[in-house]
Amino acid sequence: MEPKDDPQLRAMLREWQVENAPASLDARVLGARRLRWRFLLTGSMRVPVPVALAFAAALILMGVALARQQRVVTAPTAETAINLADFQPVQDMKVRIIGVRQ
Amino acid sequence: MTDAEFREAYWGNRDVLYRFARRMAGSAAVAEDIVQESFLALWHNTSAYQPDRGTLRSFLLGIARNVTLRRLRSDRPYDELEEDSALIAPIDPAGLERSEIIARAVAALPPLQREAIVLAEYEEMSLDEISRATHAELAAVKSRLHRGRENLRRTLAPLLETKGTTHGTKG
Repeated sequence: MEPKDDPQLRAMLREWQVENAPASLDARVLGARRLRWRFLLTGSMRVPVPVALAFAAALILMGVALARQQRVVTAPTAETAINLADFQPVQDMKVRIIGVRQ
Repeated sequence: MTDAEFREAYWGNRDVLYRFARRMAGSAAVAEDIVQESFLALWHNTSAYQPDRGTLRSFLLGIARNVTLRRLRSDRPYDELEEDSALIAPIDPAGLERSEIIARAVAALPPLQREAIVLAEYEEMSLDEISRATHAELAAVKSRLHRGRENLRRTLAPLLETKGTTHGTKG
């Protein structure tokens, strides 16, 4: 059946007219394609909840690990610090080789 | 595609795409979204359009129909796009303008019948063009058109023989 085989139906369907595209669309289309790089500043993206939770958990674990590391490696205090101001290289080094017991 | 070529494509096809999307989606705001998404898809992947495989209008309408159907599936995941035996529910014409009754009848068609009717009856596309735009076999397009017209004739039968602006109004 060809598209133009029912002129009566076609004429009636044409009574439903739709307006052309509004002017606001022009800015949306022609403007949007130039601003692609702006996604980096203003864009948003959908992230699945499990991925977001895993990412948050990983961040928390990393934070805890870093905090522990900082607690263990403490800065040397004045009492424990070694002063290397008078450090001198070895003048006469005699190397003594200790044999290995059989 | 250069900026000038894109602009030419936009100005030459914006109204066709908008009217198609408006009739398919039934809402001006949704139609604007569909047109914007379609043109941006062209801009981001211009190599997808190959002139030897059809006109730019058919290509853009193909993108617009894909965007539209994706939205319809998202909004109504349990509705079939193509229902062979689907009959449109009768429309109560009381107090409605003729054009509104027709709009409701077209909107009530299953989506694949609706797109065939919109492209053939409103955009005056040939069967070949519709086939290319909708990525459907010619036979499928003919069948959708046939069923769509049957549905519309049945639903709009009271209007086919009458003239006037409103129905069911007293006075």
